[in-house]
Amino acid sequence: MYVEAMQSGAFGWALVNLDPGERFVAEAGSMFRASSNVDIDVTTRSRDTGGLMSGIKRMIAGESFFFSTFTAVGDDPAEVGLAPTLQGEVAVIDCGGRGAWVCAGGSYLGSSPHLNVDTQFQGLRGVLSGESLSFLLVDGAGPLVVNAFGKITEVEVTGELTVDNGHVVAFEDSLEYTIGKAGGSWAQSFLTGEGVTMTFSGQGRLYVQSHNPQEFGNSLGPLLPPRRS
Amino acid sequence: MDYTIDSRPSYSLLEVTLAPGEQLVTEAGAMAWMDSNMDVETSVRGGLMSGVKRAIGGGESFFQNTYTAQGEPGTIGLAPGQPGDVYAHEMEAGELLLERGAYLASTAGIETNADFQGLRGLFNEGLFILRVSGSGLLFFNAYGDIQEIEVDGSYVVDNGHAVAWEPSLDYRLTRAGRIRSFLFSDQIIMEFSGRGRLWVQSRNPRSLANWIFPFRRVESKSN
Repeated sequence: MYVEAMQSGAFGWALVNLDPGERFVAEAGSMFRASSNVDIDVTTRSRDTGGLMSGIKRMIAGESFFFSTFTAVGDDPAEVGLAPTLQGEVAVIDCGGRGAWVCAGGSYLGSSPHLNVDTQFQGLRGVLSGESLSFLLVDGAGPLVVNAFGKITEVEVTGELTVDNGHVVAFEDSLEYTIGKAGGSWAQSFLTGEGVTMTFSGQGRLYVQSHNPQEFGNSLGPLLPPRRS
Repeated sequence: MDYTIDSRPSYSLLEVTLAPGEQLVTEAGAMAWMDSNMDVETSVRGGLMSGVKRAIGGGESFFQNTYTAQGEPGTIGLAPGQPGDVYAHEMEAGELLLERGAYLASTAGIETNADFQGLRGLFNEGLFILRVSGSGLLFFNAYGDIQEIEVDGSYVVDNGHAVAWEPSLDYRLTRAGRIRSFLFSDQIIMEFSGRGRLWVQSRNPRSLANWIFPFRRVESKSN
């Protein structure tokens, strides 16, 4: 299996090359091209464990309820192209060796079937920080594909780093974080729209995105005809 | 005729310089700027029926603009409605099928016509696609970057990601994978077969529209 991040800039995508019999898991609907010797199945789990509940949990985390599973059938290698919805880059994270990764809901694009993808609830911290702070815990060894809105940047955290929660893509589980506010007080923070920040500490890698999808949606939504509730 | 395509693939802009008397046909509305010695003629190319078919069927404008450089060379800048890639395709007495909205411009020797897709069109982007034929240069655009795929046998593309293909390729619409995939996900795919080239785009405008949908304001119930 070989996963490549293709293109940089606005229209990144991932090309997954599979050897005969190999499998790959992706967010449902993200496949946009594939060789015809790929079997596509839709399940609620990333591995052979977990069932309906993990699908429901993932949906709450802002992810698709379903995973697509691709299998290279026959004797030939196969390829699958994966693309996110929003404009931006994709990155391939080589998981394993240094512990689990945490991936922001909405940033997950695909993963090796040897990775276990589970929803991680953040407790009160998650509630405080709004809907975009629901995470997937990715454990095991193999490639993980994440997508960003805008440019994706890898940061090596050694001391402390504060990031607006809408800009977090993925980080190593070895990093600790606390939820904070960007403004002087919580009220100020909400009023100015700066919202919630995450302050990371410890040692580990962190991927951030240059743009905040929530902000983009908020800027376009009011321009559309309102919906009836 | 000279052309450059700048800032590919995100914000591609096509600049064409025409020699005196040379012509370029474009999709109405694609012109961003031009030299003042360019003569513009708006017409329904290929006659009224062709225009109606193109507009209703091919997802393109009823009218097309023909630009002619007068007296001296003239430059025109063309930008598609969506950010994305622009692709230059040279044709020699050939044919190409274009998905709705992909046509940007062409030189004078190229004809565009709507092509009926039969019932399968109902489940795809539309009942018609654009059939381009003749000799010259064709420019088409996409939302996302454009990838060329050499098909020999068969290849599948998600509905909404195909941009153009050679008529030597046939396609059918099929569900992605197994029956339960069809029931639980809305992914309908196009399966191309035969031998020829196929171009796909790495983003889908419909997915983006669906993504933005929940951000709309909620209309209050009280009047």
